[in-house]
Amino acid sequence: MKQVVLLPLLFLSISTNLLAQRSESLIPKEAVTVFSLNNISLLQKISMDELITYDFMEEVHQELFDGSTNGKSLKDAGIDFGQRLNVFYGKSSDYEISGFTLGVSDQKQLFEVFDDFEQLQSKYKDVSIYGSFFNNLILHEKSAILIRVEPSMELIDEQTDSIWYARGNGNPYGDDFYYDEGILTEDIYLEEDSTIQKSEVFPEAADDPNEKNYYELRDSVQITLQNRLLEGILDDLFIKHLNLTTEDNRFTEQMSHTSEGTFYLDNSRNFEQAKGLWYFQTVLPSLYQDIRELYTGNVILGDWSLKDNTIEFAVEARYGERLGSIYEEMNDSKFDKNIIPYINKDNSAFFTYNVNMRQAYEKAYEVVMPILSSEKNSDIAMNVLTIELLNEFINKDALFGTYKGSMFGTFNGVKKIKTKKIEYYYDEETFEYGEKETEATEDMPIFTLGFSIDRIDIPELVLKHLSKLTSMFEQHENYWKFNNAILDAAPLFMINRNGLFILTNDEDLALNHADGYGKNALSKKTARSLKHDGFMNGFVDISGTLNRFPNDLLNQRQSDMVNALKGKSGKMYLKSTKTSKNNTNFLLTYSFLGEDKSGKHMLDLINTMYIFSK
Amino acid sequence: MLRKLIFPIVIISLLSSCIELIDDITIHNDGTGTFKYSINLSSSRIKVNSILALDSLDGKKVPSMGEIKNKITAFTTALKGQNGLSNVRSEFDEANLILKLFVDFKSVSQLEQGIKNSIIAVSKEKSSNELNESWIEWDGKTLKRSVPLTAFKRSNEMTSSDVDLLKTGTYTSISRFDRSIERTDNGNAKLNPSKLACMLKVNTFDLRNNNKLIENSITLIPFKNK
Repeated sequence: MKQVVLLPLLFLSISTNLLAQRSESLIPKEAVTVFSLNNISLLQKISMDELITYDFMEEVHQELFDGSTNGKSLKDAGIDFGQRLNVFYGKSSDYEISGFTLGVSDQKQLFEVFDDFEQLQSKYKDVSIYGSFFNNLILHEKSAILIRVEPSMELIDEQTDSIWYARGNGNPYGDDFYYDEGILTEDIYLEEDSTIQKSEVFPEAADDPNEKNYYELRDSVQITLQNRLLEGILDDLFIKHLNLTTEDNRFTEQMSHTSEGTFYLDNSRNFEQAKGLWYFQTVLPSLYQDIRELYTGNVILGDWSLKDNTIEFAVEARYGERLGSIYEEMNDSKFDKNIIPYINKDNSAFFTYNVNMRQAYEKAYEVVMPILSSEKNSDIAMNVLTIELLNEFINKDALFGTYKGSMFGTFNGVKKIKTKKIEYYYDEETFEYGEKETEATEDMPIFTLGFSIDRIDIPELVLKHLSKLTSMFEQHENYWKFNNAILDAAPLFMINRNGLFILTNDEDLALNHADGYGKNALSKKTARSLKHDGFMNGFVDISGTLNRFPNDLLNQRQSDMVNALKGKSGKMYLKSTKTSKNNTNFLLTYSFLGEDKSGKHMLDLINTMYIFSK
Repeated sequence: MLRKLIFPIVIISLLSSCIELIDDITIHNDGTGTFKYSINLSSSRIKVNSILALDSLDGKKVPSMGEIKNKITAFTTALKGQNGLSNVRSEFDEANLILKLFVDFKSVSQLEQGIKNSIIAVSKEKSSNELNESWIEWDGKTLKRSVPLTAFKRSNEMTSSDVDLLKTGTYTSISRFDRSIERTDNGNAKLNPSKLACMLKVNTFDLRNNNKLIENSITLIPFKNK
């Protein structure tokens, strides 16, 4: 009898739990990247002020940088730590969405942090909508979504121009409008253009105050599009009950994991939105469709796990069978043991990449050529003919014997290297001065990049001829030296020995270790591990590498990533497993030192991944 | 606004590690003379070339080597057209990153005005307070000098790491005359044995913090009429 009573109660309890609104069910289906923190209680002690310094919080900065977060931790923000915190991002050709979803335990506390939001009218049952200038905060049951929807500039311009010209207006900028393409900060822009009359740049206000000028119209179009896009997303979420968990089983499965955090990136949708493919989409739609099919199923899924002072990030790259067959062939390669002697055990960072380009080429030829051959387009047909002829005539043994595909790289630290400088000397009698060339020293990051090679005679042939053309190439006993090759100031050394072609700016390696570091090379234990792992391995000692890495040599995105991890200490290891037709697994292990909370380290990693995936 | 005028050079100069600047002026008794100016970045080639390899830095566009050369040519051309200036030429050693400028002038005031006009010609600025400042004055007996590149005054915008890099740079100001120097008011200035030339050498980091370090008033012995 007891069972009869308890069973329905148990069922009811489970059903209620399953059906209860969870933060993940508010993630829009348009999200392409999602970082999900399962155990956000880890973050309880992180201050809001610290949290909002992360790049993934940038969309809500203007709400949170107004003093409302001072002295508060996440715990004081009304957040339900029993639900996931999901950071999402998505982009299409027409819009960009970003934001996060979270559980709410105390609305009053939540609005003390998000104190700039005003309540808006809601057409959805049990849904409260709040808005600020850029963002919207939507509450449903015990969960909330903070979202920013931004229509693309192209779409706004297109719609605005359409309305503007349809109303019989002329060029809004006048006929002689021009602009300088230099990248200007707001400060410089204002300074430099201070002498230009506003009327020279901006369209004149209409005579009729009821008639909008171009920029007023553009603002209206932007707001309208923004509202329309948001409405579409909210209709999906609250009327059609469509969200990323209902639309993508892979994401739903990922959400069932009990790891501290998960990661989802739908690469196939990134492919669809790639702007560079517009030509294929419009001119060669069938080819575009075929290539798109190659990328179907291309998704990257990850799990974060915390173990004492270690964070493990297990990543699975999934792909379709046809693309997978190319990867499988490419990664079917034996580890080249020749590289081990060239990685010093004290190197603060290194990677090995072990692929078989010959097999990858043959498979790609087999998979891609039929797609190209079926295209009825004269340009494509000519390209196919060229590729097929090259395939017949080129000596593939020589080509892939020279570039087998496997490689390694090391970061050997920042060293003082000798350069030349012009110095002035003064005559003490007359103060006349002359120039003399002297030696100088400058800091330079020292890198080594090596490629597996069977045909060492081919680079040797090229270098010998180049040395006859210019004295900048010098042949030495064990290496070649290319003077002033790096930034017109430092030499590049080339070592063509032991089945490897090595490029390095490390003079010590070329002069003293042309056959490797001997006892100072990687340990046998590490070497065994590298041999047994998959096609890719990497190691970074963060304090020894990123903290010393000169950002001047990086582009903005790379620099942001390095900066996100600067000041940290710890070690990162990356390894891959065997590649199959359907997936490849990677494992990134981050073992950290210091007294920072593990939650903070996890946020640092997530932040780096966010910058990388955006 | 001098900073903007020589933007391509200055952005590199200010961001580079070791910079050597020399301004060398010769003034004859009749007021005519020669002005030479050198910017030497050869000891920072790696740093400068790595910056030149970027598209932008700190939100500002990094000029290409071609753009820098065009700017130098434009400035030299503008200078050639100025009243009272002759034998204007510039040399840019791209490999060693050394820029030299040579100008003969009829009078110091024409030299100053000619440089100001040329700055305006190659920059978008049509006027500025800094261009109204005088950095050199000559009354036939006394030469008053300050920093021709007031960009250093603007170097407050530099980051602390860039400022540190200025510590190894030097600015040398040399003034030469046909007759002996009676006195100078800058205690750090050095006279040659014949007292016909005066040299003042300061550290660029110190100069950034105190641009008065390079200021000097040089008084010559009275001119003897034959």
